[in-house]
Amino acid sequence: MVTGDISKAIRRVDAVAKCEGTVKYVSDYTFEDCLWGRLVRSSIPRGIIKAIHVPELPEGYRFITYKDIPEGGHNYLHMIATDWKCFAENEVRYVGETIGIIVGPDKTTLENLKEQIVIDYEAQEAAISIEEGLACKGGAFVNDNNIFCSLQLDVGNVDEAFQKADKIVEETFETGYQEHIYLETNGACCKPEGDGYVIYASAQCPFYIRKSIAPLLGISPEQIIVRQTTTGGAFGGKEHFPDVLCGPLLVAAYVMKKGVKVIFDREEDIENSVKRHPSQVKFKTALDKEGNIIAMDSQVYYNVGGYLSSSFVVLQRGCFHVTGCYSFPNIRTKGFGVATNAFPSCAFRGFGAPQTLFAVETHMCHIAEMQGLDPLEYKKRYFIKQGDTTSTNGKIVERVMIPEMLDQVLKASDYERKVKEYKWGSGKGIGISFYNHGGAFTGNGEQALIKGKCRLHKFADGHVEILCGQTEMGQGFHTILPKIAAHVLELPIEKVIFLDPDTSRVPDSGPTAASRSTMIVGELVERAATLMKPRYDKEEDFVVETQYEHPEGYPWDQSTFQGYAYLGYGWGVCAVEVEVDPCTAEVTTKGIWSSHDCGHLIDERIVHGQVNGGILQGIGWASTEVMQNVDGHFKQTSMSDYIVPTSMDYPKQGVYFVENPYEWGPFGAKGMGELVFNGSGAAYIDAVSKAIGKRISKIPLPTEEVMNYMLKGQDLKEAL
Amino acid sequence: MEEMKCYMPKTLKEALEIKSRVDVIPMAGGSDLMVSHKRTIGLTPVFEKPVMIIRNLPELKRIYLNEKGECCIGAGCTSSEIASNTLCPWHVRQAASRMGAIGLRNSATIAGNIANASPKGDTPGPLYLLDARVKLQSVNGVREVLVSDFIVKFRTIDLRADELITEIIVPYSEDDFDYIFWHKVGTRKANAISKITVSQAIRFEEDGKTVADYRVSATATGSKTNRSRDVERLLIGKEISSDVIEAVIAGFDQVISPRAMPEFRREATRRMIRRFLSQAALHPADKVIDTYDEYHVTGQPIPRG
Repeated sequence: MVTGDISKAIRRVDAVAKCEGTVKYVSDYTFEDCLWGRLVRSSIPRGIIKAIHVPELPEGYRFITYKDIPEGGHNYLHMIATDWKCFAENEVRYVGETIGIIVGPDKTTLENLKEQIVIDYEAQEAAISIEEGLACKGGAFVNDNNIFCSLQLDVGNVDEAFQKADKIVEETFETGYQEHIYLETNGACCKPEGDGYVIYASAQCPFYIRKSIAPLLGISPEQIIVRQTTTGGAFGGKEHFPDVLCGPLLVAAYVMKKGVKVIFDREEDIENSVKRHPSQVKFKTALDKEGNIIAMDSQVYYNVGGYLSSSFVVLQRGCFHVTGCYSFPNIRTKGFGVATNAFPSCAFRGFGAPQTLFAVETHMCHIAEMQGLDPLEYKKRYFIKQGDTTSTNGKIVERVMIPEMLDQVLKASDYERKVKEYKWGSGKGIGISFYNHGGAFTGNGEQALIKGKCRLHKFADGHVEILCGQTEMGQGFHTILPKIAAHVLELPIEKVIFLDPDTSRVPDSGPTAASRSTMIVGELVERAATLMKPRYDKEEDFVVETQYEHPEGYPWDQSTFQGYAYLGYGWGVCAVEVEVDPCTAEVTTKGIWSSHDCGHLIDERIVHGQVNGGILQGIGWASTEVMQNVDGHFKQTSMSDYIVPTSMDYPKQGVYFVENPYEWGPFGAKGMGELVFNGSGAAYIDAVSKAIGKRISKIPLPTEEVMNYMLKGQDLKEAL
Repeated sequence: MEEMKCYMPKTLKEALEIKSRVDVIPMAGGSDLMVSHKRTIGLTPVFEKPVMIIRNLPELKRIYLNEKGECCIGAGCTSSEIASNTLCPWHVRQAASRMGAIGLRNSATIAGNIANASPKGDTPGPLYLLDARVKLQSVNGVREVLVSDFIVKFRTIDLRADELITEIIVPYSEDDFDYIFWHKVGTRKANAISKITVSQAIRFEEDGKTVADYRVSATATGSKTNRSRDVERLLIGKEISSDVIEAVIAGFDQVISPRAMPEFRREATRRMIRRFLSQAALHPADKVIDTYDEYHVTGQPIPRG
């Protein structure tokens, strides 16, 4: 029986099978008479395909391109936008763009044939970086300015405040690519079945795949069944990207009338998959005579790559978070999604928020340090509170417990002693950051766009099955959701069944993304279980269904981005202490302490795991995870040159929480999967910059860049 | 699946006999070769020649001191075996213990690390420093070559068609020096490739001031590991002074030729040389000098380069 405080940790329901190695991942599935597929991709960032030379293919082998899409079908993938082509036609926009898929029964033969395919291009000048995209290098390929999407948000009157300003400081921040490095690489299998198709895929969002690829054959999404296979990590990298893989597979299965399977190896996955958007954030901040901020004007640029797909939504979230955990009277935010000939960028834990949060946190530090102040004292002046206005002219609905969280972190880290003792440039530093993450889809998106549904089915033998589209990808959702149902129904957790979704069996409860699963779908399950409870003993076999309802009185206008962007934010405070080797510039992290507000915890061990992982992933992004794009090719293509941190790199973390139940969440829970990524990078950079006494405005920051700042950086006290 | 020819000799004699008549790729740990020849998931690697697996030849697994007291390390000894054997010189143990990840160290061999002739290889730095030799055997005889000559240039070694590397002979150890230094700046703290590694050792005359022997080698600073006896001679026979230190630093700076991140690699090398020599001149109690001993933790400024 699951009783008492729901936060008390239980053993993860998938723990034993995953430790024993008995779980089947997509590459473990074998299907009779199934073919193998290998994607054939563009090797240049921009150009025209002049000819494709395919060797003579033995019987049973076939090279499939856009020409194989049947009449009535459309050569695009329906992500959020519909611009991303399934197969390149005559132009290619990025290295790695799918041109065709070669399929056949024997892997070795297939590989040898694939190596013989030669594509002739007429290469064109490519734009890879944000600067090159904005300069329309090689000529604009989206609109007349390479701007895929843009938005502007205004609060108060920025122009008037700038006229009154005593000083205006300007600063630019840059962040780089980040690769997801999920443990399991991408893979999927598609096979014809009945009058439709079945897809097995390592994926976050089975319903997204169905919707995205059905137009290729001009069929309805319901004619495609997607069955999620156990997914070994995703981090956003399997939110939309599986569509890019499943599209060609669907066309191949249609042509061959057989199943076709593709599994990426690690290099193939790193070279040819989406990444976190590189960014540039430019601030112009107005200060009064006392050095207080009276207005903040920011321009946010994200490197979108060759196709828009989900990037406008990522950019929106970035812009909504650009003022971080602070309240300013006058704010102007402009966001631009820049078209380039790089692999399209897409979702990654934080979904646009980490870039702007890093920028604003670090900018706040620099404004304070330029005045000789410790950043913490300065940031405290602007902490946002319940009822304050947000960057979208909404209000903060909930209580903000940053002061309480800060107390926990200060005490645990001994921050105040250390910050006095470690002089700037002394080789030791302690930094601190504040961050948040709006839970679930923006505004009323959960109601207007997703309309998430969930069912609970009680069987005669007393078992209850949860039917929804949510996926387990390592984050613990196979434990969280049954735990919510078991608690309400007062059943042992073993009585609650929750399987990997099959789109023909479960209602669409929306994607497993946006830190929404516990907060939104958890509530649907909680409500369904509450409805089920009085009937549980009386009726043998019945189903209860719930659908999302947005609380009244919190308006949002998606056309102007005005109003209540998020009803419940996760909040975080993180301190990081470092030492820098004076000879080699190596940074050793000596301590990490954090406190988070995620409402009420559903399972403290799972949340603890998310905190540990998210914080390290965030520091990795800010420090060692260098991913360069040279002439359209990602330069780091293996685990030995793309440097994700190991457990050896960081000390045991001090992990704290505050209790702040969220009114509309299950048992008071809010989203937290992305929150825990959003701020550790800024705290780390704050610590390193104090240790070396230099202002840092660009991440990642591998050892050689630390040395570079030590030699050539600007002192913290220099005027901005 | 593609077929390939593979030899698995049971003794060194058999292996040398095969090597004398067949053009084979010797493979011991396989941690470089299997990776460089891999194809996509589910396919076997394709080698351009037959492979001879010498992983478990007992003759290549010994570590012992020869009659001259030199440490002899069997070509097939893994990094883990070397790191945990105190007969092996300190610098070599350090390099072996920080090579790659644990799994790799249990598989990768010292001969493979040398034969791979990568400028980022972990063991050549200490082996250059300590004048180590490779023993090369064939059915026709034995010869010994300095590791620094055996590695001709990037990915090129002085190995004849019928020869196998059978042993690495290291004539010096930490006992021959008063102070020793080895520091690897890796890409991270575990499973790391070297960004720059510097090995140093120094011995004073009986007066405790005049330098009798000084050596420095650097890894990942050019197309092969760098060491220069000419630069070292700038210090030998003299007392350590800031002028001499700067002369050594300037001299060594001319020797190295890093292509990627040159400013960082040059500056870190300069700082590590300066740190070692200036500390050694103070005659600290500990034999091992590292880059950083918490000496600035009380908030004193970092010494600037």
